[in-house]
Amino acid sequence: MSYEPKIIAFCCNWCSYAAADLAGTSRMQYPPNVRIIRVMCSGMVHPELVLKAFDQGADGTMILG
Amino acid sequence: MENKKTIGSVMVVGGGITGMQSALDLADAGYFVYLVERSGAIGGAMAQLDKTFPTNDCSM
Amino acid sequence: MTLSEVTKVTGEVGDFKVTVKEHPRYVDMDKCIACGECAAKCPKKVDDEYNAETGKRKAVYVKYAQAVPLKYQIDANACIWLNKPGKCGACAKVCPADAINFDDTEKNHEIEVGSVILAPGFEAFDPTGTEVFGYGNYPNVITSMQLERYLSASGPTEGHLLRLSDGKPVRKMAFLQCVGSRDENLCGNGYCSSVCCMYAIKEAVIAKDHSPGLQTSIFYMDMRTHGKEFDEYYQRAKNDSGVRFVRCRVNGVEPQGKEGDLRLHYVNEQGQQIEEYFDLVVLSVGLQTPKHVLELAEQTGIRLTAHNFAAVSDFAPVSTSRPGIFTCGAFSGPKDIPQSVMEGSAAAAAAADILSPARNEMTKEKVFPPERNILDEELRIGVFVCHCGSNIAGYVDVEDVADYAATLPGVTHVERNLFTCSQDTQELMVKVIEENNLNRIVVAACTPRTHEALFHETIKAAGLNEYLFEMANIRNQNSWVHTGDKTAATKKAKDLTRMAVAKVAWQGPLQNFSVPITRNALVIGGGLAGMAAASNLAQQGFPVTLVERSSVLGGNANHLHNTWSGEHIPQRVDILIRDIKRNPMITIHAETELMGAEGYVGNFSTTLKNKSGVKQTVEHGVTIVATGATRLLPDEYGYRKQKDVVSSIEFDKLCEINDNKVKTSNSFVFIQCVGSRDADRNYCSKVCCTHSVQSAIDLKKENPNRKVYILYRDMRTYSQREMLYKKAREMGVVFINYELHGKPKVNKKDNGFEVEVWDHILHRPLLITADMIILAAAIIPSAGAKKLSRMYKVPLDNHGFFQEAHAKLRPVDFATEGLFVAGMAHYPKPVEESIAQALAASARAATLLSKEEVTLDGIKAEVDPAHCDGCALCIDVCPYHAITLLEEKNDKGEVHKLVSINKAHCKGCGLCQGTCPKRGVSVAGFTFKQLESQLDAALAM
Repeated sequence: MSYEPKIIAFCCNWCSYAAADLAGTSRMQYPPNVRIIRVMCSGMVHPELVLKAFDQGADGTMILG
Repeated sequence: MENKKTIGSVMVVGGGITGMQSALDLADAGYFVYLVERSGAIGGAMAQLDKTFPTNDCSM
Repeated sequence: MTLSEVTKVTGEVGDFKVTVKEHPRYVDMDKCIACGECAAKCPKKVDDEYNAETGKRKAVYVKYAQAVPLKYQIDANACIWLNKPGKCGACAKVCPADAINFDDTEKNHEIEVGSVILAPGFEAFDPTGTEVFGYGNYPNVITSMQLERYLSASGPTEGHLLRLSDGKPVRKMAFLQCVGSRDENLCGNGYCSSVCCMYAIKEAVIAKDHSPGLQTSIFYMDMRTHGKEFDEYYQRAKNDSGVRFVRCRVNGVEPQGKEGDLRLHYVNEQGQQIEEYFDLVVLSVGLQTPKHVLELAEQTGIRLTAHNFAAVSDFAPVSTSRPGIFTCGAFSGPKDIPQSVMEGSAAAAAAADILSPARNEMTKEKVFPPERNILDEELRIGVFVCHCGSNIAGYVDVEDVADYAATLPGVTHVERNLFTCSQDTQELMVKVIEENNLNRIVVAACTPRTHEALFHETIKAAGLNEYLFEMANIRNQNSWVHTGDKTAATKKAKDLTRMAVAKVAWQGPLQNFSVPITRNALVIGGGLAGMAAASNLAQQGFPVTLVERSSVLGGNANHLHNTWSGEHIPQRVDILIRDIKRNPMITIHAETELMGAEGYVGNFSTTLKNKSGVKQTVEHGVTIVATGATRLLPDEYGYRKQKDVVSSIEFDKLCEINDNKVKTSNSFVFIQCVGSRDADRNYCSKVCCTHSVQSAIDLKKENPNRKVYILYRDMRTYSQREMLYKKAREMGVVFINYELHGKPKVNKKDNGFEVEVWDHILHRPLLITADMIILAAAIIPSAGAKKLSRMYKVPLDNHGFFQEAHAKLRPVDFATEGLFVAGMAHYPKPVEESIAQALAASARAATLLSKEEVTLDGIKAEVDPAHCDGCALCIDVCPYHAITLLEEKNDKGEVHKLVSINKAHCKGCGLCQGTCPKRGVSVAGFTFKQLESQLDAALAM
């Protein structure tokens, strides 16, 4: 079985979340392993959330803002 | 000027994207709008378009 | 008012009486529930206009599935009963609502209004009877509007591209441009329809998306992609999507064999005769004014141009010849969607200009039902899964997602909708929420960034607090980016839905709150756009502060002579400046720079500094950015090295002062696209083609024996400007096309220049002797744009022009509320488009300024007094200075520290939440608990 990493991305509503939307409108293709969580600013993401993500089995966490 | 009557309403003739924009802006600025459309529903030509440049959003 | 036409307009500005004829619908609008039983039973089929005659509809029908109002109507010409009463009547028998009314009659209404806006639009040119293209004779020749319907998921073939002759998939298709445009022989429409190049490219790209391997070719004369971001789209179509572009006019379409193949004859760019076969030929039909609109023009008494468009001035682009009657959209000349939307707003501004004394006299506020208290209720989550036509359903098993959603904890109701955002679905949602007593709503569809507001309104109408809502982004961030893997996309859609359900479960009701609006405007830039916006706002009764960096008003217009239609610019600019200076509502700050800005919609505060260094702070409710653009100083073709190589603007000045060199020269070469449409600046400067053509005409007028050459890449004399191009050719101006890879070469000779350019008709290099070279230099963003964009936190596009909120539907708004853009700060454009956009910005600004207060959303930080210990870490990180420290003494005299949030300043960014070690502060709608639940749900499987 091939390795399928689970990735969590915290995306800022005003930039990276909008960019992820734009990737859609431009039909850019990427692997379906990412789960995006929308935040109002990347600064909103508490360090505890990142630790929790790893604790729950995420292989990678991105904070994009 | 003072004696002249000014009615605070506007008639917009045509229910396409242009007419709708006019009607919305006027209504939001405090004017009563009559939107008159020749066919059975508003939307105009843009409602016929499948997708639009550049986002390819559907036109609805 | 639908099925209605204006038949008469009497009275005058401010006080019109309009007669409106309402045709019978034969269906009672109040009773019709749009169930469709009538159409299912109706035996009569006719061609469907909405589908551009590609499909059939019944005699009783609804225009399209998302129509507003969604009510059926009977086509009196087709209906059997209405033509022979007593026969048929099937619809009336099956209608469960008893809505069919064959006795419905025509009604005439007399309506008093202060102003009339005409936005009747266009019709597509009908190529029936134009023998050469075989439309109507060969089934595989269709119009672009028909292709649009074939490509649509809601069209007759649900988006599949099939040959009409034999139903085989289309492998090879050709677009023929300028059918019904730029062609006086065929149809008398000598003008350019402006939009067909762009829509043909779009259709070709989408058709290729639909059918991989499809070959598409566009046969064109000039590729007119002059709008914002259009040239980049053109390049992408060519280089990434593989659309083939062939510069030539195809003169006819012939059938080949019995299956429906079509043969095109043409001469390619290498001068060879080519014969090529296609499955499908699409005629890119132009725009024209329909006959019923000509009647409307006559009834309303407004003047038309020679091409049957409404006559307007370039300085009043939405004012018809009759005061108080305005026009917008394609009625005043063929134009694209953003320009039409701008004009829609501009017409609103122009009407408001004359009606402002009567504002708010006839309107009332929209009322929503009282909010239901759900605090003590158990979770009852409703999930609406959207197909978005085929946008989602094409790549995701929506049924599976919906079934899965029903199993999630707290979910009590699940629905699927073809378009969850359509008007009829909104009504359905309200009903479903009320009937099932739902108290949290999840919509799995597109993106909250475009559609959250719409659904908030809807659930508000159902008596729920608007924040009891969450979207799962299964389109932009799922179906569109995983088009090749339905299984994975479906799994991800389920995950995203589960995450949204988990989050919304912890969502409580939030309250919006209002702050007062400073009811005046700051207009930045004293050029044409800035002045036009300022003047209109002042006229509507709102004070304006106008800031100009230089010492004079007028901007670039001070260097221009005539508009394309020949109106004298200096004279009109003088009048505008005089009016602005006299207007007591407008405060002008010349030679003034902006130092800094803060605030938000309704409450901006900007610091100005004048030339003596004196600073002043202005409070304003809205901001209009009209900082214009500037010209490129080229570094090619010997500019600034050779004396007689000049830019267009410089050449105008030389003509104006009757320069001896111009007077005595016999040969002039204009070179187009100098600095535009190249690797550095892949955009069209839009105005230069027309400018050079006008200069060339003037030179020829003065002396017909002069030789005038225009070296161009695509001649972009769009819309009715095409007549100038025609006139120039008739006067003997020589137009020579060059390509980017074969730019002209300018060599200095003893007395003048020798210009070398490849001639595409003779297929050999051409040497032109020239006395003067005139360069059509690019328009580039103004130097201060970057600083301004940082100051107000509004974005610039790739080229440095200001980026509007939505290319089509919000062409003057910034994504940030309360800020607007107008004129060349947005993109290079001619006078009338700058003024239209300025008026539009004014109209959009007035929608805010006409209110006493602005409503701010409820996504704000909140303090939890039980956890906050006043450590104050959050105070330093808050970028909006919204947090203060309070010290309270309790009964025992102990000091308790606690932070407090100023909600008017808080933007809900949550830096405080990310910083707080005690979970004492969190942003409503994005609390730690909610993000944590989302995270848990994401990793649960």
